[in-house]
Amino acid sequence: MRLRDREPPLVIVVGSGGVGKTTLAAAMGLVSAGAGHDTLVMTFDPSLRLKDTLGVGERARGQDVDVEAGTRGRLVAGLLDPRRTFDQLVARYAPDSVARERILGNRFYDQLAGSLAGILEYMAVERLYEAHETGGYDRIILDTPPTRQALDFLEAPARIVGFLDSGALKIALKEWFDDQGRLKGARKWGFLGQSFERWLDEIVGLDLLRDMAEFFKAFGPLFEGFRKRAQDVQALLQAPQTRFVLVAGPAEERIPDALFFARKLGEAGHHLGPVVVNRVHPLVEADPAGNPGRELLAWQGRRDQAGIERLGALLREHPLVTIPLLPSEPTDLESLMALGRQVEERLGGREGVGA
Amino acid sequence: MGDCYHRAGYHAATMTQPSFDARLLPLLVVTGKGGVGKTTVAAALAGASAGLGHGTLLVEVDPRENAHQMLGIPPSGGEVAEAREHLWLQNLRPRDVLDRIVRDRVRLAVVSRRIIESPVYQQFAEGCPGLEELAILGHCSSCLKGEVLARHRIDRVILDAPATGHGVSLLAAPELVADAITAGPIGRLAGELSELVRDPDRCGVVAVTKAEEMPMDETLELLEALRDRLHRRPEMVVANGLYPEVPPDFEPRDAVDRLWVDRRRVNERQLERLGGRWDGPRPELRQLPMERGPELVDRLAADLRAQLRGSGR
Repeated sequence: MRLRDREPPLVIVVGSGGVGKTTLAAAMGLVSAGAGHDTLVMTFDPSLRLKDTLGVGERARGQDVDVEAGTRGRLVAGLLDPRRTFDQLVARYAPDSVARERILGNRFYDQLAGSLAGILEYMAVERLYEAHETGGYDRIILDTPPTRQALDFLEAPARIVGFLDSGALKIALKEWFDDQGRLKGARKWGFLGQSFERWLDEIVGLDLLRDMAEFFKAFGPLFEGFRKRAQDVQALLQAPQTRFVLVAGPAEERIPDALFFARKLGEAGHHLGPVVVNRVHPLVEADPAGNPGRELLAWQGRRDQAGIERLGALLREHPLVTIPLLPSEPTDLESLMALGRQVEERLGGREGVGA
Repeated sequence: MGDCYHRAGYHAATMTQPSFDARLLPLLVVTGKGGVGKTTVAAALAGASAGLGHGTLLVEVDPRENAHQMLGIPPSGGEVAEAREHLWLQNLRPRDVLDRIVRDRVRLAVVSRRIIESPVYQQFAEGCPGLEELAILGHCSSCLKGEVLARHRIDRVILDAPATGHGVSLLAAPELVADAITAGPIGRLAGELSELVRDPDRCGVVAVTKAEEMPMDETLELLEALRDRLHRRPEMVVANGLYPEVPPDFEPRDAVDRLWVDRRRVNERQLERLGGRWDGPRPELRQLPMERGPELVDRLAADLRAQLRGSGR
């Protein structure tokens, strides 16, 4: 894989928290746009300074924003805001404005629905799909969100479908309450029904159940649209031309993380391309008259070297690309571009090794 | 947010913070984003606490167990395992806690098994917002009383919080659930836990960060969210993974020296940023040329104790 080539159209950057995914995604976006490809970089949670560097503030939450980088191709940045995407999705699939307002105004939706069944993670892929279908970009680079289980978001479409098929929804969609907000049948069953209602109120609270029932009833018509969509998103993630770039920390203790990702991606039928080992400490000659900084760096350099060798042996079929630790994180377009070029250079040297 | 933490009077009880040694907080929630060394710091805090003679249980919530390496014992597999004198470790799976609640409530094994295996329950347990967080905090709270306490003499639980989103979502969950569910066992538990989380004498928050830009952004956001949503301030903000200090007269000879000087400068700039927004205890932990393990934990625990002694105002 090389960013100056036309393929792959979709690059998904994954890895544990704190390994520098977002910065690398932005750097790769710059190189891609520099090579003349119209490129969208979607990030989840960039640092304040990176936002400044790319010139995307809060504005980018609502719409994708052009980055003034002077590249041959367009470079566009988008910030992922799951809640907003969800609201937009509701607006799109709701049959009419009454239904839409009923969902958006629902207390359950407002407080809780955001984390129901991985919907937040799903929103990230949802917007990716949207951009892929209608954005007109040559390439999209997705910086994956910091999720619970780091790969939750990849499984999100399947989980949504699983949720829809689980029967939980069927139960939720039953007419549980009459138009006075009382549990249906409770009165018909006399004393028994009333104590059941009281008991239910005790355990989970009837108010919540009413809100939930209301939410699912309002949401019901949307689910079919969701379902089809989730399957399409799933197909896009598994498409052979979609490439996953795994970013890993160099230390030996981070190896299990990298292996975990590689295994999970393989199991889920995704195509893992290069593994980028980021922030590798230099190999330093031991120096008896050394200073504490040198001593630490020398130790870290040896540790990283051992880690990389082991990782290379374990992930033999994937090209390993190492990026040295920089004096400081890139904070302007120039240093981002320099980092991007380093990545590209190293990717180029590993051609034909399965990527 | 500027000088929000310098303004007086948003929570009187937290304005005087005795040192870590003097004040025995039963529950310490250690929070921080992935990659900042949260587990290392949690283990060091647990080591420091146990070293003072407090029975301490370190609770880890991560299916890929790590903390046992730090303490030099085999994986605990979900059980409470003794690591050394006064120090225990448990790897917690929130689902186990929920399943146990079902088993306790529905005594008939055949029925409870059917419930636990049903897809509706599984969707609920996995997807119901706030439930997992409730289970984690509920478990920690229950370790401080009853059976576990009787068996292990635990005075304090240190929770290595899951590295999910903000630590605030873990701490805010009880209130969210308590708002939605007002009665019954779940409602009562949520109510109890939301009181626990708000009580500065029973529950403390430790924020772990690295003195680098992105983790610091997140830490400052965390401080703000803790204040706005929970009216709390953390016990301390631990700056982890610092490069060693550069002597004032140091002349870099080559690229390696310069790398050290540059990385240390990044650290100092970010520490300064933190100092501008946070006037509470702020221990600093250096990166050490040592493997992860008990020896490292002991070193860091000693560092923490030395820095926190008399840090209260």
